[in-house]
Amino acid sequence: MSRASRWITRAFVATPFVLLALAVGGALFGLQGGFAPYAVPPAGTGGERVDADAATIARGEYLARLGNCATCHTTRGGTPLAGGRAFVTDYGTIHSTNLTPDVATGLGEWSRDEFRHAMRHGVSRHGVLYPVFPYANFAALTDVDLDALFAYLRSLAPAVAAAPPNRLEFPASWRGALVGWRMLTYRPAPFADDPKQSPQWNRGRYLVDGLGHCAMCHGERGMLGSLPREGYLAGGRIPGLGWYAPPLDERQLARFDVEQLAGYLRSGVSERGAAYGPMAEVVYSSLKHLTDADATAMATYLKSIPAHPLPRANTLAAPLGATAAGNGRRLYEEHCADCHGRDGRGRGLDHPPLDRAVSLTAPDPINAVRIVLYGAVPPTTARNPRPHSMPPFAQKLASADIAAVVSYARAAWGSQPIPVSSDDVQRLHGIVLD
Amino acid sequence: MPPVSRWSFAGFAFAVAVLLPAAKARADDDMIERLAACAACHGARGEGAPGAEYYPHLAGKPAGYLLEQLQGFRDGRRQSPQMTWLVQFMDDAWMREIAAFYAAQPPRTRAADTGAAALTADLRARAETLVRDGDKAAGVPACAACHGADLAGVEPGVPALVGLPADYVIAQLGGWREGVRRGVAPDCMADVANKLTPDHIRAVAVWLSQQSHDDGRRPAPAGSVVSPVACGGLAHAAVTP
Ligand code: HEC
Ligand code: HEC
Ligand code: HEC
Ligand code: HEC
Ligand code: HEC
Repeated sequence: MSRASRWITRAFVATPFVLLALAVGGALFGLQGGFAPYAVPPAGTGGERVDADAATIARGEYLARLGNCATCHTTRGGTPLAGGRAFVTDYGTIHSTNLTPDVATGLGEWSRDEFRHAMRHGVSRHGVLYPVFPYANFAALTDVDLDALFAYLRSLAPAVAAAPPNRLEFPASWRGALVGWRMLTYRPAPFADDPKQSPQWNRGRYLVDGLGHCAMCHGERGMLGSLPREGYLAGGRIPGLGWYAPPLDERQLARFDVEQLAGYLRSGVSERGAAYGPMAEVVYSSLKHLTDADATAMATYLKSIPAHPLPRANTLAAPLGATAAGNGRRLYEEHCADCHGRDGRGRGLDHPPLDRAVSLTAPDPINAVRIVLYGAVPPTTARNPRPHSMPPFAQKLASADIAAVVSYARAAWGSQPIPVSSDDVQRLHGIVLD
Repeated sequence: MPPVSRWSFAGFAFAVAVLLPAAKARADDDMIERLAACAACHGARGEGAPGAEYYPHLAGKPAGYLLEQLQGFRDGRRQSPQMTWLVQFMDDAWMREIAAFYAAQPPRTRAADTGAAALTADLRARAETLVRDGDKAAGVPACAACHGADLAGVEPGVPALVGLPADYVIAQLGGWREGVRRGVAPDCMADVANKLTPDHIRAVAVWLSQQSHDDGRRPAPAGSVVSPVACGGLAHAAVTP
């Protein structure tokens, strides 16, 4: 066969595959939003400045609190919203950016349209943004709210602060690769009020799914760290943080009534449980600022979310034996019962109940082990300005004893009969901050 | 004197003598309960935990100093994962109350170390000179010039140097040298730490850990000590009229 005809045959054979690849690629590209996300409004055009009257700025500030912009866009002790906080992911470390109106390093030259675009599509003049930035949730925001946020950010004193360079592995280090990630995993959907539900429920959903981006921690992770719709608020281990976030749905939250849940969100404590770890941070920097009406709206919506399927129980491991349980109970009565009660009912807002506590009902024991090792203090809030505290036991009890007491508590009040081993506890030694 | 006022005087005296201390004891018990987590490492009243060779005591230290430390752990001016973990979601108002509580407890200025770690006679003399007189040639002011002649600290920002474990003092001076512990600017302690040699730091730390005041001495009043150099912790004391 001549060279030419060999090429023709090859092309003939390859064509259907190339066409198929193009068709699939095209379809996936369409599913992630088509070309629109990449058409960033150019600087200086199409961006009339927003009205910045005091009321709009104040509303923008409230929205920024609920969106928790400052927690992600501020380093420990750094200038608020000047960026630079590091996020450790499976692919490397990403830094947040400067949101103050500095021209060279912040949003000083941004138009209203570019801001709206970045918040909706996760693409800015710097290219496609990493999904640590919860734009999939912020896409739900109305124009009015986005403009108020922008007006607030523009009212800040400009701070010169360039984000430190990210340290990522290839291909994650190349922003272009994010187009591929979006094609495989990102499925934007329009967000509209549900006319069958009350305005209060709709407001709650807007805050939880949109601005509050609760799914960033409470969503079950899918392929490549994505947040697929099926696992929406289904709970799981939070990547990079070493904490487990529970599902948020009617079954998980059945032990709260709406008022108690709204109180938990605003104050960090309740008769049904207290916030710790990353949830304490969310309450401290964001939810404690909620108005009464917004807290009730969020609680109303959260309690209406249909229960997610329960994770499959581990049937391979042996349940806690009688001797180990006896040892765990003895340790519990000696070290824990003064505060949590022999019956695990706790004491009002001071000491949370262990009965059906998040860390004990969770399939993943990481929270219970961490909190017993290193202790915890609920966040200070207007309604709980002088919190009680949980002592650390890392110096006081050996790993085997911590395993025993946690296993006992999980079996007694969490319906989790599979014990935690001393090795499990050993592996979780070491404090992770940020 | 009409009987009413005599009675009210008696009532007042009763209140001062009996009710006030009782109220204070109740307030203390309330704080002790809330600060159960802190007791695990610092003791219920901040007196220090028995057998802990590193955890500093808190009792009787100046309130301004304690507040600055708590804020430092929260805001990244001081590094200690176990401390930051517990105070990171705490506001200033609660920190101020915590600082005032520990500051009001009986101070602990007993030696942390009973002399197990030995110093050569040379180093012992050198350490004492550094503490009492400093080292003019190296530009190190005497520790006593700022921390008070009896090293019991000065209100509101300078802590006592007696009662601290040697390892703790070494780690703090190391922290200043590496820039991971930062005080209020101008940070005089960073300057002091950078001018001392590692050998002298160790000698001073061991010497300090063996000094003792058995009577639990309070920090000297604000303004009673004038710092020889510009110093954040003392500027308030020197400047306030
Ligand atoms: C969970 C953490 C997180 C939260 C919450 C968050 N951001 Fe961000 N944001 C980031 C990170 C990380 C980046 C940088 C992404 C990148 O470089 O690809 C970013 C980038 C941005 C950008 C793009 C900046 C640029 O120069 O391209 C804007 C605009 C932005 N965020 C605004 C906000 C606002 C407004 C809020 C609050 C409503 C907010 N962010 C909340 C983490 C967060
Ligand atoms: C940074 C991660 C993070 C974010 C963001 C977050 N949470 Fe949480 N949340 C957690 C973790 C971890 C827990 C478990 C620890 C605890 O109970 O305090 C938790 C617990 C909770 C609980 C207690 C559940 C129970 O059964 O007691 C509620 C309610 C809750 N979160 C609501 C929310 C809402 C509403 C949002 C959004 C506004 C949100 N969370 C955002 C991490 C997060
Ligand atoms: C001095 C009182 C006190 C003692 C003693 C104490 N705890 Fe706690 N515990 C608390 C407080 C207060 C919290 C809430 C912490 C927070 O939200 O930051 C808590 C939280 C917890 C939680 C998290 C509950 C949840 O909602 O998931 C667990 C688990 C727990 N304690 C177990 C124990 C065990 C086991 C012991 C004994 C080894 C113990 N505690 C001893 C006060 C105490
Ligand atoms: C697990 C042990 C541990 C617990 C629990 C703990 N601390 Fe500490 N604390 C330390 C250590 C270690 C240091 C010294 C840190 C360093 O190396 O700089 C310290 C230092 C301090 C200091 C500075 C003392 C000085 O002289 O400079 C203060 C103030 C303090 N702690 C207050 C608290 C309070 C308040 C709590 C409770 C909320 C608490 N600590 C709980 C271990 C602990
Ligand atoms: C110019 C004044 C000054 C001099 C001189 C000085 N100090 Fe200090 N020192 C301070 C101040 C102020 C602080 C409190 C710093 C802070 O707020 O963090 C301090 C804190 C310390 C601490 C921390 C104590 C604790 O509980 O954590 C140690 C240790 C210390 N000094 C040792 C020394 C030694 C040793 C010397 C002499 C070699 C010395 N200092 C000389 C002003 C001084």
